[in-house]
Amino acid sequence: MIELKNDQLLVSFPELHRDARCTVSFLRTLRIPDDNRTYPLPAGLGRFPLHHVDDFTNNVPSEWLEHGGVLFPMYQSEAMWIHFGRSSGYPFAVKVAAGRVNAVSGRDWTSGLEGSPQNYMVIPAQPWLDGFSVQKGLIRQFVAMPLGEGFTAEEQLTGKASHGGLQIQVFPMRSECYQELLKRRAPRRDDLFGSLGRTPLGVLGINSESMGLAPGGLMRQEIYQDPHGLDVWDPSRTARCFVHLVNSAVYRQITGCAPPTEPVTADHYRKAGIPWFECYGGDASALEGAPRLAELDSVAARTIKKGGKSIEPVVIVDEAKIVKLRPRSTGAVREGSAW
Amino acid sequence: MPWLDQRPYFVYCVVHMTRKPRKDNPSSWTGFGPYLRSIREDKAVHDRAFSLRQVAGRIEVEPAYLSKVERGEVAPPSEAKIRALATDLAQDPDVLLAMAGKVSAELREIIRRRPKEFGELIRQLRDAPDHAILRIARQVRDGEW
Repeated sequence: MIELKNDQLLVSFPELHRDARCTVSFLRTLRIPDDNRTYPLPAGLGRFPLHHVDDFTNNVPSEWLEHGGVLFPMYQSEAMWIHFGRSSGYPFAVKVAAGRVNAVSGRDWTSGLEGSPQNYMVIPAQPWLDGFSVQKGLIRQFVAMPLGEGFTAEEQLTGKASHGGLQIQVFPMRSECYQELLKRRAPRRDDLFGSLGRTPLGVLGINSESMGLAPGGLMRQEIYQDPHGLDVWDPSRTARCFVHLVNSAVYRQITGCAPPTEPVTADHYRKAGIPWFECYGGDASALEGAPRLAELDSVAARTIKKGGKSIEPVVIVDEAKIVKLRPRSTGAVREGSAW
Repeated sequence: MPWLDQRPYFVYCVVHMTRKPRKDNPSSWTGFGPYLRSIREDKAVHDRAFSLRQVAGRIEVEPAYLSKVERGEVAPPSEAKIRALATDLAQDPDVLLAMAGKVSAELREIIRRRPKEFGELIRQLRDAPDHAILRIARQVRDGEW
């Protein structure tokens, strides 16, 4: 089941095991320049506020009620990353799609897990996802764009602006496999990276209310290969959530409130001395990027193709501000926060 | 001794003279007054600010009235006064309200909006253990997509 707590999706399978729980949250961040240079990981600047779609039955389109799930506001061109947290080390396979385009494999949404190419990530080994996997060790940042203008991955690949938003599906490890895993290693209270953080500080077209995610600038991030194998995941138990994205004006219409924050600028980021992060998985193998996603136009490229001019933020990354995250060895831990 | 024969009558008189008629069903709140008194007196042992007079002053009632409430001679005060007492004595207002046989206006409003569903929910949970009740939380609904 999925609950909404403190602007996080709390996913749990209490019937399977008391440890079988994890969190998924969506973090505000700096939009990196879309200039084909590669950047380290920007910090998380707080969670986006999540709301049940069902709380606004009179103000949202009927398709949203059909989809269920949650909604949160993003400004046009604002960037976001997804944080996978957990409390106990219970492994999960997590699929993430944007507009029903899988962000890891680039394939259209299917209900199950696929091993070749791998269409999911394994948590707790994968602590976060910042964008579409385009090459081994490289992603293109998730950037919010209105549906109907041709920027989103969904529109570029399907020619339609039908879904938008994000789709999350979580599969737990089979309980007997988890028991085996516990026998092989001492249970630990925290994962590879924990919630260490990246959290230093404390429309138009067919579906006019919706936003979708488009590929932005290039960032250095690895998506790790599943070390357990496809058979350990329990396909009979799954939890999934449709996450609707709305722009600030529509958010105000739906909820009656303004979005609580505005996107951070590169200037603010630099002046506040906020660090950058680089993270490599040590012994974990990184997946190749998805060829289908690699062919997508980034927001800047699309803008130029449409005859516009791309104005990219000037971001100077101070090497001294890059925090290198590297696990000490397989199974190495770093303190996470309790939840 | 002649007074021994009179004693039962004397006791009877004391008991019946001090009992006052109660306006509503006292079984729903008879524990409230003594509970309140025990909480207050425990605090008063260490802090004179919790004397009957001072607590009554802070929640803006007469000391005599609060004394009667504590002795169970009158029905518990209004929701607002119970909330004030809960704040003053660092108690959970929902617990004090429940002991007074009351349901907070907020909860009444929640139930009033969907009486059938909440009625059924509460009946279903009547015998559930505390941990099971605490686990009940609103789930994010998944639809068709």
